[in-house]
Amino acid sequence: MREVGIVGIGHTKFGRLDYDLVDIMAWSSLEALKDAGIEGGIDQVFVANMGAGAVNNQTGIASALVSRIFLEPAMAETVENGPASGASAVKCGYLAIAAGMADTVLVTGGERMRETTGWKATDFVATLTHPDAEYAYGLTLPAYGGMFTRAYMERHGLTEKHLAMIAVKAHRNAEKNPFAHIEETASIDGIWDGPHREVVNPVMADPLRLYDLCPVSDGAASVVLTAMETAGRFKKKPIRIAGIGQATDTHCVFNREDLLDLKAVRLAAERAYAMAGIGPKEISLAELHDAFLILEVAESEEVGFFPKGEAKKAIERGETEIAGRIPINTSGGLKAKGHPVGATGVSQIHEIVKQLRGEAEEGRRVKNPRYGLAVNFGGFGNNVVATILAKE
Amino acid sequence: MPTTTELYAVDRNVYAFRCPECGALYYPAPMVCRKCRNRRDPSVTVYPDFEKVPLGGPCRLLTWTRIYALPEGIDRPSLAFGVVEFTNGIRAVGVLMTEKPKTGALLDARAGLVRELVGRDCYGLQLFDPSP
Repeated sequence: MREVGIVGIGHTKFGRLDYDLVDIMAWSSLEALKDAGIEGGIDQVFVANMGAGAVNNQTGIASALVSRIFLEPAMAETVENGPASGASAVKCGYLAIAAGMADTVLVTGGERMRETTGWKATDFVATLTHPDAEYAYGLTLPAYGGMFTRAYMERHGLTEKHLAMIAVKAHRNAEKNPFAHIEETASIDGIWDGPHREVVNPVMADPLRLYDLCPVSDGAASVVLTAMETAGRFKKKPIRIAGIGQATDTHCVFNREDLLDLKAVRLAAERAYAMAGIGPKEISLAELHDAFLILEVAESEEVGFFPKGEAKKAIERGETEIAGRIPINTSGGLKAKGHPVGATGVSQIHEIVKQLRGEAEEGRRVKNPRYGLAVNFGGFGNNVVATILAKE
Repeated sequence: MPTTTELYAVDRNVYAFRCPECGALYYPAPMVCRKCRNRRDPSVTVYPDFEKVPLGGPCRLLTWTRIYALPEGIDRPSLAFGVVEFTNGIRAVGVLMTEKPKTGALLDARAGLVRELVGRDCYGLQLFDPSP
């Protein structure tokens, strides 16, 4: 198999965008081509998206994107794997090049979720739950986030203040990220122990509060992949895809032997580490899928950064801050950068590339990173993709 | 042939499903028994269906939440959910009908109308404090 590298990255602002979905994806795609120093020559396009049919009343969006930016006759497919669609699409791009089916691949993840109402957006994401054992009840992903958080707090002693500390970190990083949805500062005084907490930061899915949840966002992110053996013809040095791991778990969360065991996260990371030939100690930074802040905590333990139940001590010591031992969610994470579901996995990889190149903005730039890990979490942990990138 | 959701609405009940070959019990229904690989056929055309076992009764609350951003078809200001485990080991999600839920509490699960969508009623488990 051929080795694969990333030679171009592109991103739109996350938030509310007044373009149609394909225009949003076209924007980040063109940015990625420009970053790679090319205008065409793409053999294959993979588009990551979850809700175009349900929310935007549009299907066949991979073909539409190719035509919108004149990449015909490139091969094109849409990859739908729930909120893990982005990393799955990058995996497909990797496989196409590694297998020799293509030399250069454009991967674009995009979503336009703010075209509809908040409850419809929540409802469309909830369609990935079991139709009669979960969805029929009105169960939402934030509801599972709340139940998981309560179980974790009761077992490991995590407090609401720990989550507030992560929220403050996420906002601080997002403030310096020009693509982030949330641009406002958050402080512990304001969201956790201030006099107006119940107004500023109300309970949404007890015990999760507003600042513990990601926003509903529009946006897109893109990467250009190519075979490492021919990467020298592009404008920038390639960032190598060193490892990809993926795993699945039960569709119904309640059928897991231990409700707090995110087995698919652990297995996906172990598989990615094995492929890369490294372990968690070699990782310089990570983008972890924090649709609910508890997931940053639990995933950081499952991927081996901290023992089970110990992440709270790392939060207290600031180990996950930009200058800490293992910076997590330097982009602001889903929590503050935003979460256009199909775009998220590609956006995480965009951030790792930016950090490994040393191109991240001042104040959120990690010092001398070598390896970066991205964890893209589909469903409530029933399909997880872990990707490790390496600076050569 | 009704879907499982339609079956619950017609019967106003919720079922676990038992493999007729080895007796393993499942919720929700799989299409093959994990233990003996016996196939399930809801239309009873090629293989027999699994036995329907009404789900309900005493159960223990494993975790819970109350949500304030509700999806379509819920006409309340908030909605509480719990994950429960029955004495036979089966687990399920239910709507909490108790005001002060507590992890580890014993509850009584009963089938009831949990959501009204356009053109269809959804029946599921409602979780009550046990009768004195």
